[in-house]
Amino acid sequence: MVLDLWFVFRVLVFPGFTFILFLTMFCDWLERKIEARMQNRVGPNFTGPAGILQPIADFIKLLTKEDIVPRGAKKTIFKLAPLLAFSIIVFAMSFLPVDGAAAISNSSFTGDLIVIMALVTIANFLLFLSGWASANPYSTIGATRVLTQFLGYDIPLFLLALTPAFLAGSLSISAIAASQYLPFVLLAPWAFVLFIVALQAELEKDPFDIPHAESEVVGGLETEYCGGKLAFLHLTRDVQVVFGAALVVELFLGGPYGPVFFGLPEFWYSLWFVLKLLAVVVITEYVTCLFARLRIDQVLTANWKVLLPLSVLSLALTVALATWIYPLVV
Amino acid sequence: MIKELLSNLFAKPATSKYPFVKAEVAEGFRGKQVYDIGLCISCGLCSRDCPAKAIEMVEVDGKRRPLFHLDLCVFCYQCAESCPRNAIKSSEFFELASINKSDLVIQPQATSQKGDGAQQ
Amino acid sequence: MATNDQDLLATLQSRMGGNVQIQLGHLGKASVQVKADFNRDVLKILLETDKSAGISALTGLDMGETIGLLYHIRTNGAIVTIRTEVPKQDPKIPTITDLIPGAVFHEREAADLFGVVFEGHPNPARLVLPEDWPDNLYPLRKDAKLDDATINSEASKSQTEPVQPQSDGSLVNIIIGPQHPALLEPEKFSLKVDGEIVKQVEPRIGYVHRGVEKAAEQRTYLQDVYLVERICGICNSCHASCFVESVEKIMGTQVPPRGKYIRTIILELNRLHSHLLLLGHAGLEIGYETLFQYMWRDREPIMDLTERLTGNRVIASTLTVGGVRRDIKETDIPKIKTALADLKKKMGFYRQLYEGELTLKMRTQNVGTLAKEDALKLCVVGPVARGSGVNIDVRKEEPYEAYGEIPFKLITYNSGDSWARFMVRLDEIYESISIIDYALDHLPTGSFRVRVPRVVPAGEAVNRVEAPRGELFYYVKSNGTAYPDRVKVRTPTFANIPAFLKTAEGGNIADVPANFVSLDPCFSCTDR
Repeated sequence: MVLDLWFVFRVLVFPGFTFILFLTMFCDWLERKIEARMQNRVGPNFTGPAGILQPIADFIKLLTKEDIVPRGAKKTIFKLAPLLAFSIIVFAMSFLPVDGAAAISNSSFTGDLIVIMALVTIANFLLFLSGWASANPYSTIGATRVLTQFLGYDIPLFLLALTPAFLAGSLSISAIAASQYLPFVLLAPWAFVLFIVALQAELEKDPFDIPHAESEVVGGLETEYCGGKLAFLHLTRDVQVVFGAALVVELFLGGPYGPVFFGLPEFWYSLWFVLKLLAVVVITEYVTCLFARLRIDQVLTANWKVLLPLSVLSLALTVALATWIYPLVV
Repeated sequence: MIKELLSNLFAKPATSKYPFVKAEVAEGFRGKQVYDIGLCISCGLCSRDCPAKAIEMVEVDGKRRPLFHLDLCVFCYQCAESCPRNAIKSSEFFELASINKSDLVIQPQATSQKGDGAQQ
Repeated sequence: MATNDQDLLATLQSRMGGNVQIQLGHLGKASVQVKADFNRDVLKILLETDKSAGISALTGLDMGETIGLLYHIRTNGAIVTIRTEVPKQDPKIPTITDLIPGAVFHEREAADLFGVVFEGHPNPARLVLPEDWPDNLYPLRKDAKLDDATINSEASKSQTEPVQPQSDGSLVNIIIGPQHPALLEPEKFSLKVDGEIVKQVEPRIGYVHRGVEKAAEQRTYLQDVYLVERICGICNSCHASCFVESVEKIMGTQVPPRGKYIRTIILELNRLHSHLLLLGHAGLEIGYETLFQYMWRDREPIMDLTERLTGNRVIASTLTVGGVRRDIKETDIPKIKTALADLKKKMGFYRQLYEGELTLKMRTQNVGTLAKEDALKLCVVGPVARGSGVNIDVRKEEPYEAYGEIPFKLITYNSGDSWARFMVRLDEIYESISIIDYALDHLPTGSFRVRVPRVVPAGEAVNRVEAPRGELFYYVKSNGTAYPDRVKVRTPTFANIPAFLKTAEGGNIADVPANFVSLDPCFSCTDR
């Protein structure tokens, strides 16, 4: 078997692992800077110009700390779960077209949207396991909260992710991204808004911050982690943010496609992708700063009694519009 | 709150980048003490009244003089108030953190001390 | 004196006859000297006359052969002190917790520090001293030998708390503290939870006990002003003012009017910064970081004002026996007024936020509700009481400093939940701003301090001050030297913690921090 160097490059460097890693670090910095500026503070500003090396500094600092496994913890799961969760999300990201084609090119098939949602489910379950495997009441509560919240937002998230599929007429992400002559955010704005809300729940940001509410459960599922494993847990959380934003970009904002001015279209596609992703990150951070944290029973009410019916309605509305109105007008 | 967040995004931050920017303190700030040996009459009232027992009377050139232990001091300035000759005054110097214990002691010497009380 | 007090004292005299000796105007409105056996009877008569009477403090005194117990009861806006004595060899007295449930902590503290046994107390465990403190060593007795005390190792071994979650049947034991991000200072609360519902809360305080009351006996009055100031950083001026007022009562000193007004201004600045601190901290506990950052940004001008007036951002060290140490300069007054006017404008934004923001209201309304009857029975003070509809404020009941001459409103809310407690503090910020403005406009001229002798004549006095967290109570006893004989401090959070135990039960775990921060805990104050 011939080793396809181009394939290896695409998977490992761009738009694969290294690109995702740097994008994650950059988005972490951007989130912190935007949050700080909205709160009238400066944010990271010392490490590197304007503090841009801060996420890397934090990662390296955590790697240099002592790595302890508690005596009563389930060692294998405790050690593997964060790593696996991180890998699964990176794998899911490799399905998303970044410069016109996904990292694992020619692998986009009808139904890869469903596969991605399933991978996200598995990653969240692994996070729950990592909290459950630490022998600590705070971790247990945090892990239970992750699962409880997850049960609430998973179905609405799925339904809302299917909405663009109906508009595009296909379940393949690349096809959805390519068929947006008009970004779907304009055709189904209600779905976009609800998707952002469900995304807040998936990314565990305010108002759905409850799984790692410091003032109540110390660290939630991260309580017993330290050193390199904690670095990976944090990285997993940051990659989830990037992944969620990338999904929004692909499904609602027209993917990487945008005006090409000169030269290589792949360059322009990547640029548009990154710009749109950063815009979504700014929007989610804004929503985070706007709200307080809801209690778990309030989160359940919000998910089951508000978000789920609204997402069903939105799906129905979009399907109705897509079948009868849009072919006439658009 | 919606507008406030957006307007603050483009506003100047409320925090200042200390220590790259100097911190301003008000006049009359109770910082590091400035001791004038020329005015001292060795009465020992400062040491007697100090609530933290941070002033130790030591022998210097045959006279009793106060030695200030700044690691015990609470900067209440009762010593300045008790002194009948106003030999202890305040300064605006507050950056006293140090890795040497000797920086945290004000020796009763006739050194010319600058107005901001910084260690010579 | 009000007619209620006349009735009360007349009833007492007639019902108890020769068993009581009433002295008017001493230690509050009156002090009632009884034998230990009749203690409860006097209390019962008091409670019949005034259903909303509560205990303000319980002072222990080492009087040589006996241990004196002073029950300071708050009734009709004043203090009536019941004095009893128990012999040192056999210090037993019946408990009063069945009559006044709020006395639970007070009796435990007296048991810990003086060795008095309160018969019938529901939970006679240690309160402020650690578990491995040696038995039969009572620190506040004059003959306690503290220099060669050794740790009681059997007690410390049997008291280690297991780390793994324990199950009491279906109840899991979750321990909050001593180190926990929700707590500013170390205390331990063991919550027994069933799923997410809290069934029972057991507190253990005393982690920050520094023995300030004992230390105060070994320093002069002048040095003690600085010592008591450092019981609490946030309400430092209130401690100082309560102490110096007690000493001034014993000495009979009159503070000049300008001194009183300057003291009022400093106390109200203290209240402003404390309330702003708490409202921001509330945001942090419920996950609203933006509110926290904004509020603390707007608190900075108050710290700068305090620095300008007193020389330090937090600990003022400006009050002293006989007046204040520094004057307010004429040039500073416009600066103060501008800063306060800016703050008042910004408070409009916060008011809108607290009244309108959906997630904030979801987290604080109907959370940690304390009914009015419970508030009265548990003898809570301050905004915790005023949020449940109990109209008590020392500034109105027994005006001190310049509060008698300055008009301001007493803020009460009736719903008794966490939101009401926050709104009380929010509205009090407006009142504080107007008090300071009025004081600055009507600042009397003249001296701001009188010189007092260092030796204080023999006597005793009680004094109350409205700290930001509630009523702060001091009892000072002098024996004619330059060193006090006894300084007793009862801080507002000490009185409010039993209320927290009550409001936490039946709620969610997630509500515990929000609930807890609404009573504005300050454990440095609690433990002294």
